[in-house]
Amino acid sequence: MSPSITLGQYIPGESSIHRLNPRFKIMVLLLLLVLLFTLNTYQGLLGLFLLVLAAYAIARIPARYVVRGLRPILYIVIFALVIYLFFTKGGVVLYRLGPVTIESEGALLGFFVITRLVILILASLLITLTTTPLSLTHGMEYFMKPLQRFGLPTSEVAMIMAIALRFIPTLLEESSRLMRAQVSRGADFERGSIFRRARTLAPLIVPLFVSAFRRADELALAMEARGYRVGALRTRMHEEKVSSLDWAALILLLVLLASAFVFQF
Amino acid sequence: MASPDRKINFWTKAAMIGAVYALLTVAAAPISYGVVQVRIAEALTVLPYFTPAAVPGLFVGCLIANMVGGFGILDIVFGSLATLVSAFLVTRIRVKYLVPLPPVVINAIVVGAVLHYVLELPFYLTFLWVGAGQLVACYGLGLPLLFVLDKRRDIFD
Repeated sequence: MSPSITLGQYIPGESSIHRLNPRFKIMVLLLLLVLLFTLNTYQGLLGLFLLVLAAYAIARIPARYVVRGLRPILYIVIFALVIYLFFTKGGVVLYRLGPVTIESEGALLGFFVITRLVILILASLLITLTTTPLSLTHGMEYFMKPLQRFGLPTSEVAMIMAIALRFIPTLLEESSRLMRAQVSRGADFERGSIFRRARTLAPLIVPLFVSAFRRADELALAMEARGYRVGALRTRMHEEKVSSLDWAALILLLVLLASAFVFQF
Repeated sequence: MASPDRKINFWTKAAMIGAVYALLTVAAAPISYGVVQVRIAEALTVLPYFTPAAVPGLFVGCLIANMVGGFGILDIVFGSLATLVSAFLVTRIRVKYLVPLPPVVINAIVVGAVLHYVLELPFYLTFLWVGAGQLVACYGLGLPLLFVLDKRRDIFD
């Protein structure tokens, strides 16, 4: 656990992608998801891949962020590839080593599925790279709002999300202070297996919760003192505006989706 | 200190649980999203046993964590919903050894189904892939945490 982690992947910028309304970003991403799973040709996937890369270029995201964003899926990609290459049979034999063969069917299907996964990750990543977690929260709150009718506390959930985001750095500092305190008493967080290291986390977690809940009490008191009431109607200081660019992005995706259906890409 | 409004306190407590969850996920990132996804933060799924504030708390923590890394939109939607459902189920369980069960089973089913759909691999493979990681996190780390916290129930009041 190093204190130098940065939360969120947001890269500040002024590009047109950055300025899209978070609500529209979410809608576009969902449409792209539908599009991704309607495409069933390599040409279609390649086209969408290029489109996503173009969006990265417009947002001026350095290539190293793309590579870093794909690292989390490395193992699942290897896992899937191994299964496809060695266990899916059919087509021409591409490679033979004793009784083990790699056949063309498995390779084609495997690479198709992985390309699709990569596009999915890159598209989602672009949203988190160009939107602050807080405005993404506001965007999500908008879509959760209908659930209020069923008595679900959506605005409270959005509020605690904002509070949680705000307190992550504070609690991080707190936890590294606790860690130093434990280390000075002879605790060792650096060595040992993951289980051993996890066990050393217990004397960290308890005081961390004690201090976190104390902050929760103080915060609740402060909010109450400022007139916050659970369930009361709240307005926002910064309203997110909708521009013609937002509609353009949405329409582009709808057109792509329609043409994917019509032309069977 | 004067005691704050219970209702507001419920939500601020939930927010702090969410922050700790997100913090643990991000701080332990390499094993969180990597090989058989052992998310250390998943040990916190035992918290609803102590306080219902952990239900929205874990949901929000999971949302934030998934926004920061992982599988993107699918994880944000389905992973977080799975956490919400299992956290709710945990509040109903009174047998300690069964507490880590919902986060293992529900996540393995939901996330396993998503991976099955995305990767087009057999469901039992993706189910086991997710379930193995959750089993380590929830039983290997969560259950010991449950026993530690059980001695300090006072901090949840």
